[in-house]
Amino acid sequence: MTAFMQQIINGLSIGSVYALMAVGYSLVYSIMNFSNFAHGGVIMMGAYIGFFLLTAFKLPFLIAFGLAGVGTGVLALVIERIAYSPLRKRNAPFLYFIISAMGASIFLENIVVATIGPTFKTYPRIFSPEPIAVGNLSIGRLDLIMCVISTISLAALIYVIEKTKVGTAIRATAYSVRASALMGVNTDQIIMIVFGLGGLLGGIAGVLFGMKYTVYPQIGFITMKSFIAAVFGGLGSLPGAVIGSILLGIIETLTSGYISSQYRDLIAFALLIFILIVRPIGLMGKTTEDKA
Amino acid sequence: MRRRIYLIVLAALLVVTLGVAGCTPKPAQENTAGPASAEVVKVGWIGSLTGDQAVWGQCELNTVKMMFEEINAKGGLLGKQVEVIGYDTRGDAAEAVNAVKRLTSQDKVAAIIGPNASGQAIAISSVLEEMKVPDIATVATNPKVTVVDGNVKPFNFRVCFIDPYQGAVAAGYAVDVLNLKKAAILYDVADDYSQGLTEFFEKTFVEKGGEIVAKEAFKSGDVDFRPQLSKIKEANPEIIFMPYFFKEVALSANQARELGINAVLMGGDGWPSDVLIEMAKDAIEGSYIVNHLDFNDPEVQGFKDAYKAKYGLAVELNGYMAYDAVKLLEAAVNKANSVDPITIKDALETSSVKGITGQITISKDTHNPEGKDAAIIKMVNGEYVFQQKYSTK
Amino acid sequence: MNWFYIKGILILSGINLLAVLGLSLLTGFTGLFSFGHAGFMAIGAYTTAVMTIHFHLPFMVALGVGGLAAALASLIIGKLTLNLKGDYFCIATLGLGEAIRLILDNVQYFGGARGWPGIPLHTSLLNVFIIDVVGIVFLAFLIRSRHGRNMIAIREEELASQIIGIDVFKYKMKSLMISALYAGVAGGLYGHYLGFLQPKMFQIIKSTELTIIVIFGGLGSISGSALGAVILTALPEALRSFDKWRLVVYGAAVIFIMISRPQGLMGGYEITPTNIKCFLFRFVKKDKKHQGMGGR
Repeated sequence: MTAFMQQIINGLSIGSVYALMAVGYSLVYSIMNFSNFAHGGVIMMGAYIGFFLLTAFKLPFLIAFGLAGVGTGVLALVIERIAYSPLRKRNAPFLYFIISAMGASIFLENIVVATIGPTFKTYPRIFSPEPIAVGNLSIGRLDLIMCVISTISLAALIYVIEKTKVGTAIRATAYSVRASALMGVNTDQIIMIVFGLGGLLGGIAGVLFGMKYTVYPQIGFITMKSFIAAVFGGLGSLPGAVIGSILLGIIETLTSGYISSQYRDLIAFALLIFILIVRPIGLMGKTTEDKA
Repeated sequence: MRRRIYLIVLAALLVVTLGVAGCTPKPAQENTAGPASAEVVKVGWIGSLTGDQAVWGQCELNTVKMMFEEINAKGGLLGKQVEVIGYDTRGDAAEAVNAVKRLTSQDKVAAIIGPNASGQAIAISSVLEEMKVPDIATVATNPKVTVVDGNVKPFNFRVCFIDPYQGAVAAGYAVDVLNLKKAAILYDVADDYSQGLTEFFEKTFVEKGGEIVAKEAFKSGDVDFRPQLSKIKEANPEIIFMPYFFKEVALSANQARELGINAVLMGGDGWPSDVLIEMAKDAIEGSYIVNHLDFNDPEVQGFKDAYKAKYGLAVELNGYMAYDAVKLLEAAVNKANSVDPITIKDALETSSVKGITGQITISKDTHNPEGKDAAIIKMVNGEYVFQQKYSTK
Repeated sequence: MNWFYIKGILILSGINLLAVLGLSLLTGFTGLFSFGHAGFMAIGAYTTAVMTIHFHLPFMVALGVGGLAAALASLIIGKLTLNLKGDYFCIATLGLGEAIRLILDNVQYFGGARGWPGIPLHTSLLNVFIIDVVGIVFLAFLIRSRHGRNMIAIREEELASQIIGIDVFKYKMKSLMISALYAGVAGGLYGHYLGFLQPKMFQIIKSTELTIIVIFGGLGSISGSALGAVILTALPEALRSFDKWRLVVYGAAVIFIMISRPQGLMGGYEITPTNIKCFLFRFVKKDKKHQGMGGR
């Protein structure tokens, strides 16, 4: 029983990492209807920015944290301006957006390899690595902190979207870009805000990821998993992304724990495809009418 | 009109790229030869200068260049100056084949050193046989690099010990010296090196009367190993064998300690690096590593210091293997008294030279260095401390 | 430049060309995006190797079997997932590609992750060339047939095609299977060119590379895909000296092409004698607005 509880804790912890990343995918998808593969690159840059602020500039943790978020927010905006906005103006099909995004992620990953180098970097120890022991269970301190920070940032995001005027505009744009433009919403501005928010979340996710594990140019690859989680939960739905991520984390953990760690991804993927067959729009996806 | 402009830009880009492709491209690194001597002998190197193995590949090429500069300063090989040509393979087998084709046909090298991975070393063997140029692999540890189905590959050689040996040494040391009988293995299912070591560790460990209580896998690119480690913890092993590279070692060792696992950790030659200590100093305290040499051996210091002085970096493990590959090649050329690739190949088959990692005596039947002892290293206070030379038969 | 070396690059371009042709049908003409083509290549490569080594089949027959095996795998996965929308289908193919690699990593019969050496070297420039020509001609005829036109219709407007009575699922399935067949044969050639197979060779990055070649050549253009495959395979060889920055330039170039000329190198046009004449003619009479150059 202890082992099972420990595996559930492991699963929650892995799932919460996916969740922070997956929300960025879902946020952009809800408005633009395409998967922003450059998000992995943004997360990676967030981890590096945080790392350099903490080591080279020796900034206090919270300031470094905030600045990394702002940095990636700006980065996401720049990517939007350069790589997507010309396509948007032409009403290009979603395929072109995906490819442009892939180009951006290849670019970001390799510019880091070429300038900073391929070796991985270690964050300075800010929190004690000593876990909190509850009976025979061990809970990482960092996991708890991550949980708190993720919850706060997600709550703030949901507040913005549900309660503010900007949020109303975002929701309207997500519903229909054209109709909200006709109603006087500056959709171009809304899209920029969404990318900025997505980038901000990506930066937070990157710094937390770097602190928990390490920083290296291929971090973007892990975000593939969070993308899967976002699809699983239903692209375009924020609660869906969170639930999908946590579920994926737990499924993966239990598979390695009780079935086979050798075939973990195979089983996880099979389950994913099964769920998509039963429910083709993911767990909580919005029903899009052939928008693509 | 805009479309027309884009078309022109694209056409111009195309012309430029084709132009670059058309003219003879410069090799990545060339001409370490000093004064314009009449006779130059070329030696090739291939390996990863980019990609996830770049750390090791760059160190190898640096070492090879440094060694031949020294040899050139002393008058070269048989009085001929040596030119080193190094090509990147990105860790990709098809690129390795391209690079070897280019080295053997266009650059006409006398011999090739590298690559640093078994997959590439196996893939290039057919090209070597077609062009009749010998290759000395540095850390390609898969047995099939030199011997497939009992037949020795005529042009493939190596200076490192092979997976079965390394796995057996690790298992033998754990059972016979450390007297630990319950082992768990965590390995990378998508990595050839990791699978090789796992297979032979398991085999020897069981043969020697030990028990494998858990065998768990992860996939290259994973960063969280707690699900597997939690399962390993349940099995309560005395020792955990971790045959993979130092990034994953650092992460998994830290996570194992976090989960309250106190078992001794053990690893292979993927471990040694300063970065490992920086990241997981406490977690790997008391662990054992099967290595090619003792880093603190007085005989090693000369090379270590020279490398550091020249490149401002610490030598990675592969540098020592590249050093031995160059030594072996030098010995074979002197023995053959010729720089003809086929004569060098014949001489390599019976060469023996004192390398930095021990005496390298190539066996004619396997093209492997025979009777090379492994060095057992223990982590003590964040230092790599040599324990003993160890071998199993 | 030495012929032996160039020949190697040409064979490799030819193999990539074949895989790209298949993907071109799927992505360029039917509008489906696949992340799993490296997986189909892997199935083809391993099946072909089993056929030549264990069953001693002639190489061409073995290649056919390898291609069919890949097509069969695509049939299964297609049945399950082709009804899914854009991104969901992407994920399914991505999962498939990774799943195939994971299975190959685990199956020790094929050497697992350590790879399978000693595969006979049957691939030559001649047979790659012949297969490529057959592949191009078949695809060109297919595109001009009713089947091809239906696929293009699906790419342009799926809902509308359904309304006018095109069996969307059936044509997507056909497109996916033919595309997997091409990838499978390409995989078989690849294995018998290197003489060695390892699951590592078929990572997601390989699938992405193929997709990028298709885009670079131009969606919906066979000659574009062919040109793109040759150029993008030879380019890294030419750029050996500034290798570290190569992929940086590559990524930037992909974005640049997307925002400046999303139709790629050929942009839906084909190189045929008539079109070449048209093209030259356009330069003689500049002021006259040219009319359709075919293709699309």
